[in-house]
Amino acid sequence: MSTATEAESGALPGLAPASKGDHAWIVAKHFALFFFLVLLWELGARAGWIDPLMFPAPWGIVKQIGFIYFIQGNVWHHLYITFAEALSGLFVGSLIGIGLATAAALSLRFREYIKPYIIVIEATPRIAVGPIFIAWLGFGFSSKVALAALVCFFGPFVNTLTGLLNIDAEAEELFRSMRATKWQTFWGLRVPNSATILMAGMKLGCASAFGGALVAEFISANEGMGVLMSRYTYVLNMNGAFATLLSITLFAFLLFKFADAVDYYIVFWRSDKLMQRKSKKRQAAFLKSLG
Amino acid sequence: MTDATIGAGGIEARTELAETGWKRLAMHILVFVIIVGVWELAGVFNQLNDLLLPAPSVIIGKFAEMWLPTFLGGTGRIYYHFFITLWEAVAGFFIGVSIGVSLAVTAAVSPMFRRYLAPYAVAFNVTPGIAVAPLIIAWFGFGLSSKIALATLVCFFAPFINTLTGLLHVDEEASELFRSMRANRQQYFWKLQLPSSMPLFIAGLKLALTGALLGAIVAEFFSASAGVGILMQRFSFKLDIGSALATLLSMSLMGLLFFTVMEILDYRVIFWKRDSRMQAVSKKRKAAWKM
Amino acid sequence: MAAVAQAESSTKLNTIASGDVVIRANNLTKAFSETVIALENASFTVDKGEFVSLVGPSGCGKSTLLRLIAGLIPKTSGSLQVHGVEVDEPRADTAMMFQRAILLEWRTSVENVLLPSELIGKVTNEDKRRAMDLLDLVGLKDFEFTFPRQLSGGMQQRVALARLLQTGADLLLLDEPFGALDEFTRERMNLELLRIVAQFEATTVFVTHNITEAIFLADKVCVMTPRPGRLAKMIDVPFKRPREISLEVTPEFNELVAEVREVLGGDH
Repeated sequence: MSTATEAESGALPGLAPASKGDHAWIVAKHFALFFFLVLLWELGARAGWIDPLMFPAPWGIVKQIGFIYFIQGNVWHHLYITFAEALSGLFVGSLIGIGLATAAALSLRFREYIKPYIIVIEATPRIAVGPIFIAWLGFGFSSKVALAALVCFFGPFVNTLTGLLNIDAEAEELFRSMRATKWQTFWGLRVPNSATILMAGMKLGCASAFGGALVAEFISANEGMGVLMSRYTYVLNMNGAFATLLSITLFAFLLFKFADAVDYYIVFWRSDKLMQRKSKKRQAAFLKSLG
Repeated sequence: MTDATIGAGGIEARTELAETGWKRLAMHILVFVIIVGVWELAGVFNQLNDLLLPAPSVIIGKFAEMWLPTFLGGTGRIYYHFFITLWEAVAGFFIGVSIGVSLAVTAAVSPMFRRYLAPYAVAFNVTPGIAVAPLIIAWFGFGLSSKIALATLVCFFAPFINTLTGLLHVDEEASELFRSMRANRQQYFWKLQLPSSMPLFIAGLKLALTGALLGAIVAEFFSASAGVGILMQRFSFKLDIGSALATLLSMSLMGLLFFTVMEILDYRVIFWKRDSRMQAVSKKRKAAWKM
Repeated sequence: MAAVAQAESSTKLNTIASGDVVIRANNLTKAFSETVIALENASFTVDKGEFVSLVGPSGCGKSTLLRLIAGLIPKTSGSLQVHGVEVDEPRADTAMMFQRAILLEWRTSVENVLLPSELIGKVTNEDKRRAMDLLDLVGLKDFEFTFPRQLSGGMQQRVALARLLQTGADLLLLDEPFGALDEFTRERMNLELLRIVAQFEATTVFVTHNITEAIFLADKVCVMTPRPGRLAKMIDVPFKRPREISLEVTPEFNELVAEVREVLGGDH
């Protein structure tokens, strides 16, 4: 769970944020390094130092990317499929995770009873259930969603549970002193309190869900990025395999950024700017309600 | 799911169930028996599709068959596969942790390295490492090395980021204290940085072990002659779900084994977070005191 | 207690050789940037065996001044000498204590106290005996092998106090060490501190935002004002030692309190 909070910032720890001017320069340096590495790779491939089977030349990959995206166009469909599988899996998994966590938070007895099962489920490599899901649900969409959900539900589950239970003792006392009902405490204190950590859990779930969908596709499917990857590799079309891999990376990154944005807007009290905006909105709404 | 999430000020005023010790155990057993019992009854009354979800007795039967050695009436076939996968996972774990920690130490010592590494680290974090599976198989072939390679790939990131964070985020005031006592670089590292990063480091190790097992199993899905992953694959495709679930159970065992090992490590190394351990170590140090 | 007595005499030797003035500051200035001047033109001296308090509201530069003396941060201009030597890095004859005890969680009390000895070189049996004696001195006998998490805030600060004394440094710098403790514990700790400082004949600089504490403990009170940080006034505290808490309600004491408040003006 610790990697959840590191992944949140999207950068390595210990790096001071740079000023705007510095920022451009730093980005330029990154690009410079990147192009240098790519150049090295290209030269190595052409000179025959690098086995074209292991690492195809970058230029070949670029051409292939151009081909599959703009000429052949198949990849868009596969991308969409995998994306849909991953997102659905994330959604279902989060729902299950949050639901279980809520039930566990509300009832001590329930929590105790499920504890051993949770420990076993956590210890089991859940992705291994893939072939069984395929056998149960077939080669199509649902088996992928099922595996993605199974793989990623743990993050949201643990995080929601922690968020709902670990509230400031004095805040809880405050609510009790105001004779709040169990539900009022739940919605007014526990839920907002767990928003941050829940978001972190869901972001963790992004990568897992993607992974789950891909593995299910690897095992057996007709469409999706995983299938593309398998096929290209099978016929030793390394350009294609790399192109597919890069696509997966890019879109997983986009998904992560999207989750980041959602997190930013939901947990608005972490950002001054957002707080100000919300402040104004609420002020306006309040005044309006006064008539 | 740690004790912290379970017992920490639950919504119910009690944080501990009234029943303790044996009664608790009996409760858990009762719940388990009920679940299994209902399931078995469904089988008895032919409510279950044998193909999809065999009765517990079938699963247990298959499990026993796999695990019992021949002189006890079973086939004992699981042992070979179990240890192959175990070996793949453990090897991948050790290599992955070595790589991760080395990278982390380098990044902790050199800010420049850290800055240049950052974007690649982020990209790596969001890509499901599993996606590279077909490529790994293509590169490393069908033997053990591809499984170990995938296990390494999947598991090295957690120790990397956790060790890095632990090394960098040393309590500022403790650093100042060390400076005021004129500590040199080595003393600072061994007496402060290293011990204070232990909790995060161990957490990273736990994630790594889980990841390594995952990587090994997924690689086996693709191409293996031995290992629990390929067993699972084969059983599922033959629609022998009973055996597949029995294999899953075996995998759970492996996972629990890893979990236990890690918990013991955590228990012994990070003794200062648990009261009982602190008391024990206290006594030890007092007894060892010589002056 | 033999180890402690030995250390006391070696402390005396150190300071007698260096002369009477321990700290000498002349127009000492510390600016963090063009606009943030934490300390401006501070000039003062501290004699051997004196107890000096730095008191003022936040932003007056008292912590900055302490860190300058400790050699933790570099000065911007002016001169700052300890034992006749310009300060530019942490010195062996100085020891510092912070608002948080900052004990290493994975070490027992005695191991925490031994930390400075470890950093200097090999730990001798004499060092070990001294550590045990110091823990006894601060009232923590029977807690030598407990871990910080098992101790209360006040007890942790006492371990930190013992650690402060371990090396036998003759210049003690304390940055609001009892600020996080409750009133009663703080009073007790202040009395402990005075007793120990007298026993070791150490020179002490003590930072606090509590006016009563500042006057009660010190021989000289440096009143500091913020924006920019300045040493506004040095006030002598003539009361005899050993001091008792009852001193705080006497009219003479409260006159000094009034004097300090006047200097601080509307800022407090």
